[in-house]
Amino acid sequence: MKEVLRVVDLRKRFGGKEVVRGVTLTVREGETKVVIGPSGAGKSTLLRCINLLLRPDSGKVFLDGEEITAPGVDPVKVRQRVGFVFQSFNLFLHMTALENVLIVLTKVKKLPIHEALRVAKEALQSVGIGEEHWGKYPAQLSGGQQQRVAIARALAMEPRIILLDEPTSALDPELIVEVMQVLENLSKRGVTMLVVTHELGFAAKVADSVAFMDNGQVIEEGPPEEILLNPRNPRVASFITRLWELYDIKDALASRER
Amino acid sequence: MLELNVILRYAPLILSGFSNTLIMTVSGVMLGLALGAASAFAEILGPRPLQVVTSTVTHILRGIPLLVLLLLVFYGLPLLGLQLPPLPTAVLAIGVRSGAYQSQILRSAIEAVGSAQLEAAYASGMDKLTAFRSVVLPQALRLSLPGLVNEFTIVLKDTSMAYVIGVTEMFTQAIHVAQVTLDYLAPLTLTALVYLLTCLTVSIVANRLYRRLSIPGLGTGVT
Repeated sequence: MKEVLRVVDLRKRFGGKEVVRGVTLTVREGETKVVIGPSGAGKSTLLRCINLLLRPDSGKVFLDGEEITAPGVDPVKVRQRVGFVFQSFNLFLHMTALENVLIVLTKVKKLPIHEALRVAKEALQSVGIGEEHWGKYPAQLSGGQQQRVAIARALAMEPRIILLDEPTSALDPELIVEVMQVLENLSKRGVTMLVVTHELGFAAKVADSVAFMDNGQVIEEGPPEEILLNPRNPRVASFITRLWELYDIKDALASRER
Repeated sequence: MLELNVILRYAPLILSGFSNTLIMTVSGVMLGLALGAASAFAEILGPRPLQVVTSTVTHILRGIPLLVLLLLVFYGLPLLGLQLPPLPTAVLAIGVRSGAYQSQILRSAIEAVGSAQLEAAYASGMDKLTAFRSVVLPQALRLSLPGLVNEFTIVLKDTSMAYVIGVTEMFTQAIHVAQVTLDYLAPLTLTALVYLLTCLTVSIVANRLYRRLSIPGLGTGVT
């Protein structure tokens, strides 16, 4: 499979603390890669460096083989090819669900309005946001609905890859399921995704590969059954074991469609 | 005693100045809004040198009394080779000063919109200007409506100072009537009432506007 994203020895420092300390990873076309690890491991910072919301201090990021961290590359153009979904949804508060998707199509993709409307409605439908919700403002939607609109907003741009930063961490348990279901569908449709999450069940069921990040570094990476069941690194093992008590990973692995 | 007959006799003359009062208020506030939005954008998202220049200019404008500013512009512009009649001169001075205040009203509203909205706009592939115009400004304007309406009523009353450069506005007319009739109380009371009623009308209209523009979950400061 073709390589969509390659991160090479990426480093980012805030003040005296190096938060990302030489991360290297790749995501292939159609792949769902999940990044897990404790809070403060630098996962969110890594995602923000990839779509250039943050400038990495050193290292390189390649998108479809083009180095986007090279001087002279316009970050605005890069972000039009990289979708981003935030932990706290970040929908535009003064716009309805439909307008939230429309705005990026008309203002960024510069589609004519009728075309934009068609694409926006399709995107919302694909994440299970029906017509009855299109005219609602973010404050009138549940967290799960807001996050699905945010996913539709990212999806509508037809990005090469979508980066998701703990997309369910701000949600109630029953709403987590509806968002995870949407992500699972996207994964089946072959949308390339890099997902930071604490949902090991999702990693077990959907991920093509899992990277474990701690203290600014990827310390182990591999297929989910390997990382989640037989991690080699003791730090990963202890983290997984502790979470194991919270989530039943074996069940999820068993239900995994092969 | 209030001389009612003076009021009745000279009311049309005094009120004839009201159109210029309104012209100065509306164009001053609009000019101020354009300048205020531009300088709020520059102060928050502009490159550092532009931030410094904008901040300095707004500080200067807010630190000079309007009366002094009006006279400075009126006597200063011709030295720069620009000869303007009193009314446009007044609009310029009033608008520029209002812009300095409106930039501060907008700036605090923009800061209240929050960086998460801006980050989401950038992450969606918008450039700075599009993010500001399509995402930040519409929300900031809603949040700043109460402040902007307040600014409108302040500018309305401040237009009376255009008297010093000879604009025939309401207060100028009242003073002329007073000088002719030697009755100051009657024409000035009428003038005061007109200012007061206009301000009340503006705040009633503004309250309706707040309600119409209100969006669930987004504060508009309905009073």
